[in-house]
Amino acid sequence: MFWTRLKRSAPVAVALLLAVPAFAQETPVPGGTAIVVLGSDPEHLNPGISTSYPVGAVGVNVYSGLVRLAADGRPEGDLASGWTVSDDNLTYTFTLRAANFHDGTPVTSADVVYSMLEVEAPNHGRFKTAFDRIASITAPDAGTVVITLKEPYAPLLSLLTAFDAAVLPKHLFEGTDPLTNPANDAPIGSGPFKFGTWVRGERIEVVRNDDYYLEPALLDRVIFRVVPQDVGRSTALEVGEADLLWGFYMPPVDLPRLAADPNLQTWTGITIPALYFMFINTNTPRLDDVRVRQALMYAIDREQIVEQAQGGLGQAGSGPFGAGFAYAYSAATDYRTLYPYDPDKAKALLAEAGVTGLKLRFVYDSARGAFAAAGNIIRDQLRRVGIEVELQPAERAVMVERVYGGDYDITMQSFTSGGDPAIGYHRIYRSAAPGTPFVNASGYSNAQVDEWLEEAGGLADQDARKAYYDRADEVLAHDVPVMVLFDELASEAAAGNLRGMRTLLDQRDGLEYLWFAKP
Amino acid sequence: MASEGNGGGLAIYALRRVINAVPLVLGVVVVNFVLIALAPGDPVTSLIGEYPAPPEYVERVRHDFGLDRSIPERLILYVANVARGDLGFSFANRQSVTTLLLQRLGRTLVLMLSTVVVATAVGLLLGVLSARRPGSLTDRGATGFALVGYAVPEFWLGQLLILVFAVWLGWLPAGGFRSVRVEYVGFAAALDSFRHMLLPMAALSFRYMAITTRLTRASLLEVMSAQYITAARGRGLSENAVLWRHALRAAALPVVTVIGYNFAFIVAGSALVETVFGWPGIGRLMYDSIYTRDYPVLLGILLFVSVTVILVNLITDALYAVLDPRVRY
Repeated sequence: MFWTRLKRSAPVAVALLLAVPAFAQETPVPGGTAIVVLGSDPEHLNPGISTSYPVGAVGVNVYSGLVRLAADGRPEGDLASGWTVSDDNLTYTFTLRAANFHDGTPVTSADVVYSMLEVEAPNHGRFKTAFDRIASITAPDAGTVVITLKEPYAPLLSLLTAFDAAVLPKHLFEGTDPLTNPANDAPIGSGPFKFGTWVRGERIEVVRNDDYYLEPALLDRVIFRVVPQDVGRSTALEVGEADLLWGFYMPPVDLPRLAADPNLQTWTGITIPALYFMFINTNTPRLDDVRVRQALMYAIDREQIVEQAQGGLGQAGSGPFGAGFAYAYSAATDYRTLYPYDPDKAKALLAEAGVTGLKLRFVYDSARGAFAAAGNIIRDQLRRVGIEVELQPAERAVMVERVYGGDYDITMQSFTSGGDPAIGYHRIYRSAAPGTPFVNASGYSNAQVDEWLEEAGGLADQDARKAYYDRADEVLAHDVPVMVLFDELASEAAAGNLRGMRTLLDQRDGLEYLWFAKP
Repeated sequence: MASEGNGGGLAIYALRRVINAVPLVLGVVVVNFVLIALAPGDPVTSLIGEYPAPPEYVERVRHDFGLDRSIPERLILYVANVARGDLGFSFANRQSVTTLLLQRLGRTLVLMLSTVVVATAVGLLLGVLSARRPGSLTDRGATGFALVGYAVPEFWLGQLLILVFAVWLGWLPAGGFRSVRVEYVGFAAALDSFRHMLLPMAALSFRYMAITTRLTRASLLEVMSAQYITAARGRGLSENAVLWRHALRAAALPVVTVIGYNFAFIVAGSALVETVFGWPGIGRLMYDSIYTRDYPVLLGILLFVSVTVILVNLITDALYAVLDPRVRY
């Protein structure tokens, strides 16, 4: 009897015994240095004048914004301890915490106003989209900032993070040209890390700011290490020369190998939605016929592209704005039901449009492995419906010139939403002047859709937004000037004993939460 | 010993070569400037990130970097600046080109110099071993090695070396020019740098080692059949003495010349190897600058490379004169 009871309780006892060390291990341990991989040297370290990925990676940990985005996407106070919104949704009043820049100077509302008006509004592409809707930014006193909008704009708070509206030290920037100020290379911010050293081409070191206004960082230092070749980044992780590798820099094909490594941990999921899609040049003869574009939609198997070109790290295209935002997605226009893979239907549509022997030039950035792989798959799939595709890889600078100059037939691109479809996705469909990079390159221009997107962008209520997106979805799903391929699945690989990643929405943000568990 | 009276002639020859080099370098600068300026792709694109930048911002950046002027205007401005020693300002790195080059130069020189020294030494040795007993196992082994070394591209070899020695065996670092986690000082730092240099140097030197081996072997075989060698043997010298003291000196001459010729290729190879290993030298800077259309840096590097290649060829030609008493300038 005794032995039976012992045997029965043994598994429970063992489980409890095993659980104890696990609990004990989860208390954050301060100290140590984490090495984070960057794929290229940033041009400078001022996120207020650039939207480049590595600039943001370092900049957002050295500078602060009024708000920051928590893991679930909700804005929470960063430099601002809190804010109130007027009933008409036009006036936002932010209360600032007591905080100092890394050189000891106190941060005041004057710094916030200066940064936004003089630095970010003229120079920062994303902040400018907010600024165009802002009537005024004022500082009634040293601890308060008031932003007044011309009309309600839902994504405003998402555009007030350190990524888009970093608070720069006015006393270092005033009177100088922000583009050439030496503080861009040795930043003085108010963030959780202070700038240490920058050995160009090799590394950027930041050290803990013990004077930080929130909980100081757990690590002593973070070293951003530049590994230019994509295959070398995963290797650096495998041999212990790096501790953290974001999906942005990781070739998707490396993920299974890293996941199988017992010394590493990997993660996939959605952080900030991003869309992979193809612009169709509606100015090319034949491609201006909507039937031909729809034929392309039927002829391309998007599931296969996700599986083979993106290593499964994606969700095949579910509509003009993907599936990342519930209110921008409409079940009625889900591409999986509207345009299932059907080569026969594609051929029928092409015949109806009287198109034979179509040749398309596929332009893409040669540095993106996933694009090259997708290109080969697409060429195969389109050949089956009688369309010849000529792959034209081009280095990025050339690709940008060709695509946004209209010298292409189809092209593959990926855009991040920036946290809200109004920030990053509207530009895909909104009428655009030729020659502007990173906006609508298809030549498609529909004034009604433009209007609906404008409306949707301004509203805060998600149901009201959905009403406009539903209408836009319907038109765009019919016209398909852009072929949405898939929603990107973010990924990350890290040393097995690293903890605290992805505490905030953007993978680059919140490095102050990183710590190393004892092995 | 042999070149006593040749000192003056050599100096004049060197001076003449240097003077002749000036229009050559100028030509290199002009041609490369025009080529790069005409190439599709805008330097501003790589500076503004992945989101449409405000048009006024783009215009201002273009103006700051002088991109709103015509190509001939920019060319004249550039050449005038170079004549004054000002190599311009780097868009992507936000420093003067001169500062940038000087910073990265040392690292590439260390790599290239050690490559040349090691590759020449090993190549000579293998060539000698091959030529001693032509057709032997040693000879066939060295020849096979040379063929492989010549055929294999440096960047692929580099990645293979990383895979074997860094990932599988864990003996050597996978990249960079020093340890990032720990800051060594003194002797430990030198050792650390040395360990980081081994694999890139191996990748870069393989092909050149192969060339030197084959060249030494061929040259030595030819020399070994000369009459003065037979005479030396007849005097009773050992085979080793014949080989190392007499034959090698003559056989080394083509190798010395070839160093200069191959130097340019080593520089080109360093662009690839430095990228594979994340070695922050000039080669990688060249690769990055092409990608970002950072043409002041690119031109600065090309200028430097052409001057260096001319210089190295001049030195090897002078060395030739020192080694071979028959050569008079």
